[in-house]
Amino acid sequence: MTDVYVLGAGMTQFGKHPDRRSDDLGADAVREAIDDAGIDARRIEAAYCGHVFQGMVTGQRILAQLGLAGLPLSNVENACSSGATAVREASLAIRAGEHDVVVAVGTEHLTSRFRGALTPDPDDPEAAVGATMPGVYAMRARRYMEETGMTREQLALIPVKNKHNASLNPLAQFRKPVTVEDVLESRPIADPLNLLDCSPVTDGAAAVVLASGEAAKQLGNGRAIRLAASALRTGVVETEPTSMTFEPLTHMTATDAYERAGIGPGDVNMAEVHDCFSIAEVLRVEGLGLFPQGKYPAAVEAGEADLGGRLPVNPSGGLLGKGHPLGATGVAQVVEIVRQLRGEGGDRQIPDAKVGLAHCRGGKAVGIEGAACTVQILVR
Amino acid sequence: MTSGIDAKEAPVSFRPGELEVTGPGTGHLIGSRCGSCGAHYFPRRQACARCLSPEMETVPLSAEGTLYTYTVVRQSIPVFEVPYVLGYVDLPEGVRLMSQIAGCDPDDVRIGMPLVLSIEPFGEDEDGNELTGYRFRPATTEESHD
Repeated sequence: MTDVYVLGAGMTQFGKHPDRRSDDLGADAVREAIDDAGIDARRIEAAYCGHVFQGMVTGQRILAQLGLAGLPLSNVENACSSGATAVREASLAIRAGEHDVVVAVGTEHLTSRFRGALTPDPDDPEAAVGATMPGVYAMRARRYMEETGMTREQLALIPVKNKHNASLNPLAQFRKPVTVEDVLESRPIADPLNLLDCSPVTDGAAAVVLASGEAAKQLGNGRAIRLAASALRTGVVETEPTSMTFEPLTHMTATDAYERAGIGPGDVNMAEVHDCFSIAEVLRVEGLGLFPQGKYPAAVEAGEADLGGRLPVNPSGGLLGKGHPLGATGVAQVVEIVRQLRGEGGDRQIPDAKVGLAHCRGGKAVGIEGAACTVQILVR
Repeated sequence: MTSGIDAKEAPVSFRPGELEVTGPGTGHLIGSRCGSCGAHYFPRRQACARCLSPEMETVPLSAEGTLYTYTVVRQSIPVFEVPYVLGYVDLPEGVRLMSQIAGCDPDDVRIGMPLVLSIEPFGEDEDGNELTGYRFRPATTEESHD
């Protein structure tokens, strides 16, 4: 089976784009990824598009803007893992030997589709009793605090860290650092979470050009980054009440990815994880085995997850700082890791990073511990 | 039941597949029990996730539970008036379900507190008719705080 490489990466400014549409943004990202790969657009053989709320055939509208006609294209939806799922599907098409050069794009114009707190699908029994995504994570935060003794101030250090990183990222939605006091004094959303504990409503797009080993050798300009693993799992149905302070789905997906890549959590130099809420970053890095269970808040306090720390987490600013255009998020994580591993991280460059991990988790359905989870490992 | 109530005024479940309303303020949650291994589920499932048996029986679930965790929701979609307490409730059958928690000051809610099911008005249908849903309330105060 062939290896898969990222040849090119592109990403729009994340933020509010009242004058643009999801296909405009997607086309910008794809064009930048193709330019970055330095290849003729005619080399693109297939495309996958991840989005959540952008309607039918969003991917076709993106490619039409670029004059790319006639390609096999699939639009994929996996809630907040949609973009990451598009990357995985593109990698599978290459590993299967069907295609040599494939583009994966994620896009979302969320400000025109949605406001307020995200909720599960209206058909879901939990949505019917008042579930909101902030509420679900707030309940996990409450339980984690009860079990581990994590303080509210420790939890606030996660948005503080990520928004600091975002202040160094020109493409991030938020460029202004915040303090613990700012987090604690921001508007309550679902106790104990406040506004600054929650990822924002964001428009944006990101894209990558993937290639087989042979195509990368022929077309690559020496900057190709290997996509060593791209794992996807669906949450298991709960047959008894289980702990909400650990994520079996994240752990299971990460195990697949580590096995496929032939590396362990100790080899990871940087991680982009799905910090849709402050508490989410805690649950994710512990589920990924990057930090011991119950210990991440203290590690953040000690600076271990900072840009200069032992294992920088969300150097891009994460969803909290960079923004969270749902379908674009998983692709943007890969873009950040590619740039870091190439040494193009700018003011937030992690010295000598060789292995990066991207984690996405999306969706809520009654009775399952998380809907869709992806873990991707990139190696220089 | 009071005489003179016509069929139109009989309480209507907001989710008939999940809550059976048998009269004003009475009813039960509906779950599945695996006929093969005995695992319980809410909502109902077509097959058991533990043993994959399709022999699922529809059963009423217990009206008592304990609070696993909770939050006070202060921003929601328009049909829900904020703030409200939202929690995960563990039932003795080994089922955890989400419910609003009522009849208690948010400051007095505690992880592990015993709760009882309460069948009560819960929103309206598209024509403005009142629907009946469920919340859980502290077991100790029961109806005194209504």
